[in-house]
Amino acid sequence: MQEQEVVNIRTLHFGEIEIPKQNILDFEFGILGFEDLKQFIIVSEEETEPFKWLISIDEPNIGFPIVDPWLLDNNYNPGRGFNLEEDAVFSIVTLGKKDQNMTANLKAPIVINIKENTGKQVILPNEKYSPTFIVSKK
Amino acid sequence: MLVLSRKIGEQITIGNSVKVTVLSFDRGIVRLGIEAPKSIPVHRKEVHDKIVETNKAASQTDFSSIRDAVSSKNVNLSSNTKSKNIETTLIKKNKVGGK
Repeated sequence: MQEQEVVNIRTLHFGEIEIPKQNILDFEFGILGFEDLKQFIIVSEEETEPFKWLISIDEPNIGFPIVDPWLLDNNYNPGRGFNLEEDAVFSIVTLGKKDQNMTANLKAPIVINIKENTGKQVILPNEKYSPTFIVSKK
Repeated sequence: MLVLSRKIGEQITIGNSVKVTVLSFDRGIVRLGIEAPKSIPVHRKEVHDKIVETNKAASQTDFSSIRDAVSSKNVNLSSNTKSKNIETTLIKKNKVGGK
């Protein structure tokens, strides 16, 4: 039987984790502001669901909380150029330590192509979506 | 920085695939037409910079602050989604020790 190829990384949030290579997502252009980070995984942890974590393989201490944008806005429409049959879409979430609102970036979603295991961050031209959509007030 | 003077209607090319046309100039506002392949995103710089800033702030978010927000039921989320299921791509972790 062929052994499944894995890599081990030590993450800030989750300690040491073993990742099957087939679960690694290639981000050819990185993420805006983090252009050198080319590979990510998505980690789901019971305690923070439905928020998930986009964790860098290159710099395992860097991770972004992400959430399904339709849970925030039922009518969310990233527009033309998205194939929602093939692509999963996530918004990056920000939450400061104290007295800050939780916000989500609806303007620049992360798009994951499940078939090809690739991902990218796309800035939507639609003016109505904010990079700091308020999810909950402190 | 390369500086070029152009008249209205004139163009510049960037690489083999990007063309910029000066469309009009009126009261201090220049209108540019940009033709670029889909693989080259074109945005107003302040929009791009705002996303970079937002990403940097997001990367500072603590695991525990999200966990606390979820457990305090402080977050109102709908349960309807249109998003593609990513079950096969997920790395699942249960119960993280410590903070």
